Amino acid sequence: MNVRPMRVDDVIGMQACNLQNLPENYTMKYYLYHAMTWPSLSYVAEDHKGRIVGYILAKMEEEVADGEVPHGHVTSISVLRSYRRLGLAKKLMLQSQDAMATIYRASYVSLHVRKSNRAALSLYRDTLGFEVKGIEKKYYADGEDAYSMHLSFKR
Amino acid sequence: MSKHSSPHSKRALPSKEASLFKELLTLYETRQLKKGLKASEQILKKFPEHETLCMKGLVLTHMGKREEGLELVKKGIRLDLTSHICWHVFGLIQKGEKNYEEALKSYAQALRFDKDNLNILRDAAQLQTQLRLFDALVETRHTILRLRPNLRQNWIGLAVAYHLNGNLQEAKDTLEHYQKILKASNVPVGDIEHSETLLYHIRVLEELGEFSDALSLLDTNVKQKFIIDRTAILEARARLLQKLKSDDAEKAWRALIQHNPDCYSYYQGYLSSQNLDLASIFHSFVVGHPSPETLQVLLDFSTQLPKARAPQRLSLTVASGDEFKKLVKSYLFSSLEKGIPSLFADVKALYKDDFKCQTIESIVEDSIKDWNSAPSDSDEPTTYLWTLYFLAQHHSYLGRHERALSVLDTALIHTPTLPELHIFKARVLKRCGDYLGAARCSNDARLLDGQDRFLNTKCGKYLLRAGMVEEANSTLGLFTKKDAASPAADLEDMQSLLYLMEEANAEYRAGRLHLALKKFRAVHKVFSEFGDDQYDFHGYNLRKFIINIYRSLLEWEDTVQSHPAHVASVVATAQIFVAVHDDPSLASAASRSALMTDEEKKAKKKAKKAAQKTQEEAKKAPSQSQNEDKGLEPPALKDDDPDGSKYLRSPDPLELAAKLLNSLQTPASGNIELWFAVYDVSIRRRKFLQAIKALHSARSLNSDHPELHYRIVHLHQTISSLPQSAPNPIGPIISENVQLLFPEGVSPETYNSQYLQQHSASAPAILAAAKVSAQILKAPRDEVEGIIFSAIADGVQLDIKTGLSILLFLTSISSPRMDEFRIACDTKFPLSTAFKTPEEQTQLRQQVLAAGDLGPAQESEDTTVDGSTKS
Repeated sequence: MNVRPMRVDDVIGMQACNLQNLPENYTMKYYLYHAMTWPSLSYVAEDHKGRIVGYILAKMEEEVADGEVPHGHVTSISVLRSYRRLGLAKKLMLQSQDAMATIYRASYVSLHVRKSNRAALSLYRDTLGFEVKGIEKKYYADGEDAYSMHLSFKR
Repeated sequence: MSKHSSPHSKRALPSKEASLFKELLTLYETRQLKKGLKASEQILKKFPEHETLCMKGLVLTHMGKREEGLELVKKGIRLDLTSHICWHVFGLIQKGEKNYEEALKSYAQALRFDKDNLNILRDAAQLQTQLRLFDALVETRHTILRLRPNLRQNWIGLAVAYHLNGNLQEAKDTLEHYQKILKASNVPVGDIEHSETLLYHIRVLEELGEFSDALSLLDTNVKQKFIIDRTAILEARARLLQKLKSDDAEKAWRALIQHNPDCYSYYQGYLSSQNLDLASIFHSFVVGHPSPETLQVLLDFSTQLPKARAPQRLSLTVASGDEFKKLVKSYLFSSLEKGIPSLFADVKALYKDDFKCQTIESIVEDSIKDWNSAPSDSDEPTTYLWTLYFLAQHHSYLGRHERALSVLDTALIHTPTLPELHIFKARVLKRCGDYLGAARCSNDARLLDGQDRFLNTKCGKYLLRAGMVEEANSTLGLFTKKDAASPAADLEDMQSLLYLMEEANAEYRAGRLHLALKKFRAVHKVFSEFGDDQYDFHGYNLRKFIINIYRSLLEWEDTVQSHPAHVASVVATAQIFVAVHDDPSLASAASRSALMTDEEKKAKKKAKKAAQKTQEEAKKAPSQSQNEDKGLEPPALKDDDPDGSKYLRSPDPLELAAKLLNSLQTPASGNIELWFAVYDVSIRRRKFLQAIKALHSARSLNSDHPELHYRIVHLHQTISSLPQSAPNPIGPIISENVQLLFPEGVSPETYNSQYLQQHSASAPAILAAAKVSAQILKAPRDEVEGIIFSAIADGVQLDIKTGLSILLFLTSISSPRMDEFRIACDTKFPLSTAFKTPEEQTQLRQQVLAAGDLGPAQESEDTTVDGSTKS
């Protein structure tokens, strides 16, 4: 599969991929907002026909307190079930992290995951090397808690 | 809102009210709406005709009193036609309603009376960009820069305007000016805005063909650490060096490959820097003589970058003969051992080469044979399973569905719990026309992993393909937001084109035209939202100095309306409106609840409930502060047409269809269905030239298309049955053009039978000829039946879809031989359930969810994935 920086004309494919895979969905404007603000942080994986089979939608954390270091945030990452075990999630994540560190001097990347989503938790922790930093109570609209996870770049 | 600049007799206020007015403007800017309202009322008490009226209207609109507000604004304009404030306010409200054309007119009025008002100029520039009025945009950006040359973004704004208007040279000059000014001030190293601006500057030079200037600008600023986006730097360097035909291009592409070894275009760049012809490698098909050097390059990369799959996979495209055999064998085996489910999807592009297809088949078949003769203990049993999975996909792809099913059965006996096997079985059954069996298998897959939305989506899609709309909705609802009015409402809000199109088509196939129309319309709405989405970025990206991707946004917006889903939804909408025009009873039938099936009744009830819930929520929404700003966008209107029957009964369906089609014609001109729809609508509106043009366009795409044949005869018949020919000069133009399509002196009967003879092996052509015969030439029914029954003869290419269309057609002519045709198809397609009797289908339908027993009580246990179970 072809792994490359996201282009604007990927947004429909990314949105479709997200809707097919994950319960957290976004309208098109939010995808465009990511692309227009942090144009180098999001990546896609596509098949031979140019269909988006995986993506990472990423940004820099906007609310950074004084004295705090800048850090990146993964809004959404997923790979179609039929394209798993190719290491695509890891490849997408590494490209995005590299861009966060070099362009925005981020020192770590964060993400949230539903407490009940065991499959995702294992991907982030075991495959991608994230650590659970804490629990955010009622993070999701339906009242579920989230694990807040971090991956430090300096290791 | 800025204070008006020149005093005017009617506008001048005594000092107390004047300062109150000033305060009002500030209160509005800071959205202190209640206080603003009070202030405006105070002024109006003494000066009831003052432009304050408009301000009060604006404040009221923000507070949610839209009608009252708009009334006041209009009154204010009438009373003071030369007030820039009044026009500006009106423009703001129109812009909020996304009526960009009218808003721009109001802004133009406002500028007539206050030509240097920066707020108005900036808004006007955004509207001009939205409307792609680039000449005017350049002028506006010029004015803005002249007024505020110190604001950096104004320079970029002008450069972008020039660029959009096609004037690259001026864009470049503006950027150079800007860089000179910047030098005076100190830009910190690593500034992201500056980095993006420079990358934009380099892009402009590149587009101008000034590659070496672009390269030196890049290199200088990279060295000084002013450009910091590594991927963008590497890509720009490689591109520019390539265009300069520099020897350094190789190194640059190599650096990119090392940076991201799974990006195909980097290999493509590398190879072309080596003058290795590889234009087609990305499409995985090299015809003729693959170059040994190319393969060597790719093999070297495979060795250097063992974790990357791209060079290995590209090698397979390039290699041939024994070399291919060796490479593909290790590629297949290592992937099967890892259990990579996408392996077949990955290699099937190689099948365009028969040798490669056969090589892969024998490797995989041999491997299965080895397993069967001597299952070794050392090998993972999962490898065997994935090999079977691969083989099933291989057979099905080549049309050997029964073999695929038998391989799948072996695999399922081995391991009944792998969802992929069930999903693929569903796919094979779908390809065979067993839509109900496909739904059943996808549901089996879904039940094996209730946490996986991917399986859920597949199951929902297959249920819709099988026409089980309600079951699909409750299945999909396991993952939609629980606080949404319904699963459908959430999927529509989240702009799921997959869901909307699948459900629309399911309703369309079932003949529930109103419900189909409802969903097709939702698709149009999604695309109109996509169009509106760009608006804010016209200002935002300039402020952020992020231009390269913003330009891509504008390009994408210019083409997104021709997305296949949008075109299909517009075409289907037009078809439905044409059908309703021809037979208005279709519309009344849809809305008469007496004729509704139980399913329809339920759907209607559900839709009604959902609409109610939305409204209740809207009412419940608490007003958090007394000043609550509802913005200028009108709130979502209450859905007064929950089941689409009102839309279906629109008084002028053809006009609606024409309007929708009009918005598409240019960007989607390669779509033949679109031209058929344009013809159908135009000919009924008696726009003969438009209708003829549509057929010419269709003919240039496919001159043999059955639907085109039907329409050419239809056109000939319509024109020749006109009571009198159209007046000059239209009349002669029409007849000349008809002759270009339909040969003069030939009778339509002869023309039709000639077409039939020429295409006697194509079922769609046979159907078209039969339709011409029945609907246009009014031939006797047995003659028409004679034509149509040739579709089941041996040697005729008949697919399931056409078979179903023929059944529909036989119904429409009340043919007594309908069942005969159905039974013939049922025999011809033994795996398909599409030609079963209604009773048989009902029985099969009951089995679809049998394994799942989709009752709400059981389901809740399966849905913990998003933590939103009801339990």
